[in-house]
Amino acid sequence: MSMDLLIAICMTVIGAATPILLAATGELVVERSGVLNLGVEGMMLIGAVTGFIVMFTTGNPWLAVFVAAIAGLLSSLIFAVLTLSLSANQTATGLALTIFGTGFSALAGQNYSAQPVELFRSIFPPELVGHQVLRLVFGHSPLVYFSLLMVVACWWFLNRSRAGMILRAVGENDHSAHSLGYSVIGVRYAAVAFGGAMAGIAGAAFPLLLTPQWAERMTAGGGWIAVALVVFASWRPFRLLAGAYLFGLVMTMELYSKAGGGPLSAIPAELWAAMPYLATILVLVLISMRRSGSTSAPACLGKPFIPSS
Amino acid sequence: MLQYRLEKRAEPSRIMLYAAPVLAVVLAMIIGATIFAAIGYDGIAAVREIFLTPLTNSYKWQDLAIKAAPLIIIGVGLAVCYRANVWNIGAEGQYVVGGVFATGVALATYGMSGWWILPLMALAGAVGGMAYAAIPAFLRTRLGVNEILTSLMLTYASVQLVYYLVRAPWKDPMGMGFPQTRLFSEAARLPTLIPGTIVHVGVPIAIVVAIIGWFVMKRSLMGFQVRVVGAAPQAARYGGFSHTRTIWLALLISGGLAGFAGMLEVSGPFQRLVPGFPTNYGYTAIIAAFLGRLNPIGVIFASLVLAITFVGGELAQTTIGLPNAASGIFQALILFLLLAADLLVRYRVRSVSTSPRGATT
Repeated sequence: MSMDLLIAICMTVIGAATPILLAATGELVVERSGVLNLGVEGMMLIGAVTGFIVMFTTGNPWLAVFVAAIAGLLSSLIFAVLTLSLSANQTATGLALTIFGTGFSALAGQNYSAQPVELFRSIFPPELVGHQVLRLVFGHSPLVYFSLLMVVACWWFLNRSRAGMILRAVGENDHSAHSLGYSVIGVRYAAVAFGGAMAGIAGAAFPLLLTPQWAERMTAGGGWIAVALVVFASWRPFRLLAGAYLFGLVMTMELYSKAGGGPLSAIPAELWAAMPYLATILVLVLISMRRSGSTSAPACLGKPFIPSS
Repeated sequence: MLQYRLEKRAEPSRIMLYAAPVLAVVLAMIIGATIFAAIGYDGIAAVREIFLTPLTNSYKWQDLAIKAAPLIIIGVGLAVCYRANVWNIGAEGQYVVGGVFATGVALATYGMSGWWILPLMALAGAVGGMAYAAIPAFLRTRLGVNEILTSLMLTYASVQLVYYLVRAPWKDPMGMGFPQTRLFSEAARLPTLIPGTIVHVGVPIAIVVAIIGWFVMKRSLMGFQVRVVGAAPQAARYGGFSHTRTIWLALLISGGLAGFAGMLEVSGPFQRLVPGFPTNYGYTAIIAAFLGRLNPIGVIFASLVLAITFVGGELAQTTIGLPNAASGIFQALILFLLLAADLLVRYRVRSVSTSPRGATT
């Protein structure tokens, strides 16, 4: 395999993994606070459509990402109010958010299908971006660097900062955290809002990084794969990287199989298209076999908190 | 600080339990009208077209019946499943695989005639749905893998299976290149119930399924087991009810019913397998199960409401130019508001004139 092709593959893998990595990083923080938000897919679609529309009308990718983050955050607040303030069932509310996001994005994007936008490209000088080898370091969209930065920031926050410690305490033992005087509901609101903003950015990465247009349901289950990735990573930020790039690789193989030729096209295109989902199941199976017994999930995950005062 | 206070009820309110879905639908109409008015449509007309016209226009009743039927059948299965606290959200995939299995029988018996073909297809559909639901059941009971994620991932894969089958092995040789199977022969098509309409036998079957489902949940030991394991897993263990068995039962029942619905759909309205066969009934049935309060009889009414939004959504597209996505928005709003209204089942709202003890968080 030539050096050029290898670098090209690496670039595609990193790009394909980035939206899932962004969404998974947000969901990881949400789940560490004890909340299971299954609305990631819906929030991503809302982020994708708002990001696309802002990019289409203004041509400013930074603004598109920012507005997508706000849109994702606002949609996550619907979930937060229902589950945290009204203690509704988290699984059902998350599903409802995904159904809502699918409908809302289809409505908002109905006049924008098949319209092209510019991709959010690297901001480094063209000599570096176009360089045969150095583009592996400098040739990425700012969203890629942002996703890596957020993984590190997320690790630092959870393991080294005081606020992160409080968040973990809320996720592991909400009643103790409450007795110590921390606002369980407040911390969880903040975590859900952060997860929403990250899902919004992850959604915007689809039109800005992968396919420069809007299509209904364009995130194609990426939000669910992100939820699975958090389980795969055993709720630890750095392990998200391995999972996300593995999925990037599977999706890249699908792209190359479509391009035709080679051993990859011996397998039907539909099987390649189903591969990320089958790989997700496989990964969940493998992780549960290794873990055998004790899980590393936050103790209060998915349970509503009702103060006993 | 607040004028109103929430007070926990000693017992969940039975009145609110049944009033909440009605309240949710009414509020969804009001909020939906506001949203559509805000983005430049006639909000009142949107609600009228989506919720009222399908009821007043008697031509649309047959559409309501055939759209509600699959929702009822899948929704009853999901109601049983969610009662057991098992989260099968891949009913869409089980519905699709049921349709695929039934198509397999229809193609294998192509050109033949006989009364046995349709029952065989129904059996194949149910088996297909069960087999597809058995995967999350096995992974959950053996390895503790979350059934939400596996059942959903399998749904995405099932859609690709349909694309593959209609593109390659099952493609109609006379289809002029269209990716679809051949039209089923007469014996593999669902008979219509009332001549001159599109109402097929799946409609009364759906009602029967719901009644049987209600009876099983209310009167049988199996229904009792499902309810106890779902509501009080600890007590169920002491009572000798197997958790593993209940998970299998919940997934096989919901998968089998979804697969059966897939068979009815492919042999009724479609009469062949096409790429557009996955029509999201499996997802909408999740709303039907919740809106019907996880009660099979309730699912009938909930499915009718959702069928109204489907038919009304199509109407509103042609009459007032409302976008296709409108009915989805209304359905999601109904579910959101139902989840919010459920607070009133567990709490009562008390107005407080002054708050002497109001300093609690």
